[in-house]
Amino acid sequence: MSNGVLCFANNNSEINYILQAQELALRVKRYLDLPTSVVTSTPNKVDKTFFDKIIPVETPTGNYKRYYDGADTHVNVAFNNAGRIDSFDLTPYKQTLVLDTDVILCNDDLKNSFDTNYPFQIYKDCTDLTTWREHTEFDYINDKGISFYWATAFCFNKTAETKIFFQLLKTLRNNWSHFAKVFDLGSRNFRNDHIFSMAIHIMNGFMEGNWAKNLPGTLYYTLDRDLLHKIDDAKLIFLLQKENIHGEYILSSTKDMNVHVMNKFSLERLLNV
Amino acid sequence: MDEALKKALEFSNFTATLNTQKRILHEKYLGDLVMYSDNGKFTITKELLNFVYMISNNSSKTVLIDDNNTPIQINDIDDFITKATQQYTDATNKYLGDYKTLSTKRSVEGLVDV
Repeated sequence: MSNGVLCFANNNSEINYILQAQELALRVKRYLDLPTSVVTSTPNKVDKTFFDKIIPVETPTGNYKRYYDGADTHVNVAFNNAGRIDSFDLTPYKQTLVLDTDVILCNDDLKNSFDTNYPFQIYKDCTDLTTWREHTEFDYINDKGISFYWATAFCFNKTAETKIFFQLLKTLRNNWSHFAKVFDLGSRNFRNDHIFSMAIHIMNGFMEGNWAKNLPGTLYYTLDRDLLHKIDDAKLIFLLQKENIHGEYILSSTKDMNVHVMNKFSLERLLNV
Repeated sequence: MDEALKKALEFSNFTATLNTQKRILHEKYLGDLVMYSDNGKFTITKELLNFVYMISNNSSKTVLIDDNNTPIQINDIDDFITKATQQYTDATNKYLGDYKTLSTKRSVEGLVDV
């Protein structure tokens, strides 16, 4: 099998990532016509009919992270998603698109990532659905001007070059506290976006460059302070937190657009119906 | 709540949603303008269309720099022009249609077609 999608689903006490992965696999089949494999520490909880391959791993270690469910509610739960760094070793495919389980595919744009010769593709810019929010932390990972990349979605070929890249990711992960200081991230917890950004910066020769090419299409995102209200096929309806007014929302909708839904609770509520 | 203030707040919600939906439509349009051809990624602009049309008068091949700053050999420039023109037309017409539809809506629910 040459092309496919890989996702990582490690449930925690509050969030059912496997349920999200099943929805993702359905949409991958529909829009990209590709098989999906899932990497999970609980293979016995996975419905095999959704996936091409179920790849078991040990329970990964993670951070505790605050997850919001709209403006008013939040919980602190374990975030076990460092496994994607091992994508190169785990994937059964020659060319692999790795996607977060909370990405809702609504078009076939990402199909084009398999029609290029680029060894590694990732989004440098994603688009917030609101017009009023500015997220400078999604431009640069620190004040030194190192560009931010979204580890939410990336596509790679198995080449000698990408092997170096993924080995570099492991080195950064295994020595996180050191490299977090080197890259002036303060005492921040491990974050996939940051470690990918750091590695791309190194692959670029410690400067701005284009070793990592942009993934096709646009990935939109909503924050965990927003709510996913309805999924109607390729149409999604959101409640977006208003600017400067806590607890109030603006109604908004998308159609045929891929959206990264950070509010996993509202996503799960709709998938559970 | 005072009736005038209530109406103003309702209108404010309508305007905020309208602006958000307009912006989403525009972002969608920009995405629809991206074309993949000859292993390259090209955002179709009026300038690109004019440039390739001008080049096609003297040559059937050219090299274009794509969105990833990669030089791409275009072996059949006429085919490229046909595909790019079609995609540009389709995307722009769709944008026009969606924008017109949005403009006729008079309620927040109508704007997002709940």
